Amino acid sequence: MPTRADVVIVGMGAVGGLMSKELASAGLEVVGLERGAMPEFEDYAFKDSIRAFARRQFEERSRNEPILSRAGKGAPTRATYPSTPGNVVGGGLLSWTGSASRFSPGDFKVRTNEVLSGVAEKAGANLDGYDVPDWPIDYDDLEPYYEKFEYEMGVSGKAGQNPFAGPRKRDYPVPPIRQSARSQLFEEAARKLGYHPYQATTGILSQAYQPAPPYDARIPERPGCVYCAQCNFYGCHVGAKTSTNFTTLPVALETGNLDLRTHCKVFQVNVNDAGRVTGVSYFDADGNVVEQEASVVILGGYLYEHTRLLLLSKTASGMFKGGLANTSGMVGKYIMAHGDFNVRGLFDDSIMNGFIGPNGGTRIDDFYGNNFDHTGLGFIRGGPIGTGGGGTPLERYDNIPPGWPRWGDRYKDNLAHYYTRAADMTIPPEMLPHQDNVIELDPTRKDAWGIPLPRVTFTFHENEKRMGPFLGGIGEKIMKEMGASHVWTRASWQPTRTVGGTRMGADPKTSVVNGYCQSHDVDNLFMVGSSVFPTMTGYAATPTVAALAYRASDYIIKNWSSFA
Amino acid sequence: MTQNTETFQTLTKGQASVVEAAAARIMPTTDTPGATEAGAVVYIDRTLTEAFPGLAPLYRAGVSALNKHARRRGNATFAKLSEKEQDAVLTDFEAGKVPDFTRASAFFETLRKHTMEGFLGEPAYGGNRDLVGWKLVGFPGHQYGYKDAYINKKVDIEPIALDRPYKTEEEWRAHTS
Repeated sequence: MPTRADVVIVGMGAVGGLMSKELASAGLEVVGLERGAMPEFEDYAFKDSIRAFARRQFEERSRNEPILSRAGKGAPTRATYPSTPGNVVGGGLLSWTGSASRFSPGDFKVRTNEVLSGVAEKAGANLDGYDVPDWPIDYDDLEPYYEKFEYEMGVSGKAGQNPFAGPRKRDYPVPPIRQSARSQLFEEAARKLGYHPYQATTGILSQAYQPAPPYDARIPERPGCVYCAQCNFYGCHVGAKTSTNFTTLPVALETGNLDLRTHCKVFQVNVNDAGRVTGVSYFDADGNVVEQEASVVILGGYLYEHTRLLLLSKTASGMFKGGLANTSGMVGKYIMAHGDFNVRGLFDDSIMNGFIGPNGGTRIDDFYGNNFDHTGLGFIRGGPIGTGGGGTPLERYDNIPPGWPRWGDRYKDNLAHYYTRAADMTIPPEMLPHQDNVIELDPTRKDAWGIPLPRVTFTFHENEKRMGPFLGGIGEKIMKEMGASHVWTRASWQPTRTVGGTRMGADPKTSVVNGYCQSHDVDNLFMVGSSVFPTMTGYAATPTVAALAYRASDYIIKNWSSFA
Repeated sequence: MTQNTETFQTLTKGQASVVEAAAARIMPTTDTPGATEAGAVVYIDRTLTEAFPGLAPLYRAGVSALNKHARRRGNATFAKLSEKEQDAVLTDFEAGKVPDFTRASAFFETLRKHTMEGFLGEPAYGGNRDLVGWKLVGFPGHQYGYKDAYINKKVDIEPIALDRPYKTEEEWRAHTS
C-alpha cells in the first residue's frame, strides 16, 4: 500500500490541475489520480481534421467506458449519451472552445428571482416536474475566485462592454481576441437592432501573458493566439488556449508535493465505521488493485464519474445503503444540458473566412437569464446569442440550407462558393433541472474493468422547448441584418455541456454538497466540478468550476486542522 | 477500371470501380477536380482497412445492391450507366427506396460521408490528392496561423498539409515544402 496522503484527488483535469497547485503549495501531500495518460505535444496539438473531427479521436479515449442513454423510464437503453470527456491529464480544457464567461449574479438565485417572484407566472411558464433551487452561495462569494481564474489561467476580454455582466474589481488581464469578419458584422447588426454586443470573454490568450503578484507568478509565460484554423476539437500548438497543463499543473509538480499517477482508474471511495472517507481504491496500469489512504478525498472529475463512484461505494460500508453521501437521495438527480440552437447564414456579399479561429466571437446577453421581459413568452430564463466558429472543411460540408442538394453538381458549386462565405451562431438555451433527468448505474452492462456503466435518462422539457425557438428567432433576425442571403436554424436537441448530479444546496435534505463542494454527509469528502451546479445558466461551466475549485481549496487549507 | 490504380486492400477492383463511380456523382468532376481526382476511393479503401473494418460488409452489400438496382433501372451495372441514370439510382438509395436492400439509405450516407472525407480530409489518409478539395473551397490547410484577419477578402494562400504540428513558426516553415 502506498504512503498515506493528505489529499487524494480523483481526476487530473481542470479541477485536479487547479486544486493540486493550491493544496500542494500549502504544504499538503497530494496524490493526483488520472485514468488517462499524460499527453505529449503531438497527442493534443495535431492539426489533422480526420483525426479530430471525422474520427473523434478525443472520444475514442472513453471507448472502454461508454455512457449509456435512454429517453425516459421504461424506454429502451440504446446508443451512448453524447459526451466529450477528456480522459487525459488536462481533461476537456486541452481541446475546449474557450468560452469563459462568469455567471451573472441572478444566475445564482433563479428560484427567488423568477420562480417565487411572479416572473414565471407572468411568463405563463409551465414548471411541472422542474425543481429550481437557489444556489447556497452568491456571485459575490465567487467574484474573487473568478478573478483568480482569469488572472492565473489567462482570459481575454474587456470589462464594461457587457452591461448585463456582474460587477468586477479588475479588468481582464489581456484584451479581447481579435475580431473576425463574422463578429464584426454581428456587432454592427446587433447594435442596429438596439442590442448590446460585446466581445466574448475567451480562455485563449490574445497576447503573451504571465501572471504577476498578487497572482501566482510561478505560472509560466504563454504566447498569444496565432489565429490558426484548428481550434475547437483541437489542442493548441502554441499553448495560447487556457489549460491547467500549461499553467497550474507545472507549478504543482514543481512543489514536490504532488504525486501524479496516470492510468489509474478509481472504482471505489473507502469509508470507515465512523462514516468518514479513508481514501480510494483503484486499478493501476497493470490492473492491480491499489488502495490509497488520505485524510481528504476530492472527486474532481465529470458528473458521470462522480455519480458512479458515489453509487458504487455503498457496499464499502453498511452505512450508506443508497450510495455514499446520498442520504438526500439526490445523487444522480436533476442533471441538465444545453440543446443548442444553431442559426446559419450564407452570404453572397461578404467573405467570412470562418476557418480563421478561434471560435469565440461577439455576443449579446440581451436575451440571457432574466435580462428581458418574459411576459407571455411561456418560459423563464434564456441564453447568450453570439457568433460561433467556422471550422475546417470537414466540419462544414453539411452546412446546407434545407431543401438544397446534398450531393452532385449544384452541391459542389455551392460548397465551393459558400465555404468561405458562411457565419453561424450557437445559442445554448438554459435548461432547468427536471426530476426525470437522472444518472443511475446500468443494471447489467459493465465497463472494461467490470464496473457497472452509468446510464443517463434524459429528455428536454417544456420550458427549454419553448425557449429554444424564441432564441433562434432572435438569432435569425440578427443574421438577416448582417446581410446573409440565406438564413436557417438547426435545432440540435442534442444534449451537450451536461451538468448536475451532485447538486449544491443549503439544505442537506435536498442537496448533496454545501457551498464549498463539501459533502453534507461526509465532511472529508468533496465533489468539485459542474456536477454540483443546482442550475446551469446559458453559459459554459469552466470559469465557475474553476472558481468553485479555488474556493474549496481555500476552505480545505483554512480548516486543515479539522481534517488532519 | 478505376482511374485510381492503387492496389486496394479491402475492396476488390470491381467493388472499387463501383465505389469510385458513385463517389464521382456525389462530388463530380466538372471544370474543377472531383472525388475521382482527389482519390476518394483510395481514402475509402484505407478507411475500411485501417479504421473501420466493421463497415466493409456494408460496402460489399451496398455495391452489390447498386449493381442490382442499376440493372433494374438502366439494364447495366452501375459503373456503365449514364450519369443521369447513376443519379437516379443514387437518389433511390438516398431515399431508402431500393427493393430488397433495407440498408440503402445507411449505405448512401456512409458513402457520402466517406467521399467527402476523402475529398476534404488530410492527404495522409489517401484522399484530397494534390489538395484539390482544399483548393476548391478556398481552405489554406495547415497554416501556422493568420496574421491578417482577412475581413471581407479572399485568403490568397496556397494550401499546405503537414504531417505534424510544430511549436514555433520557424520550425513550421522549415517543414513546409
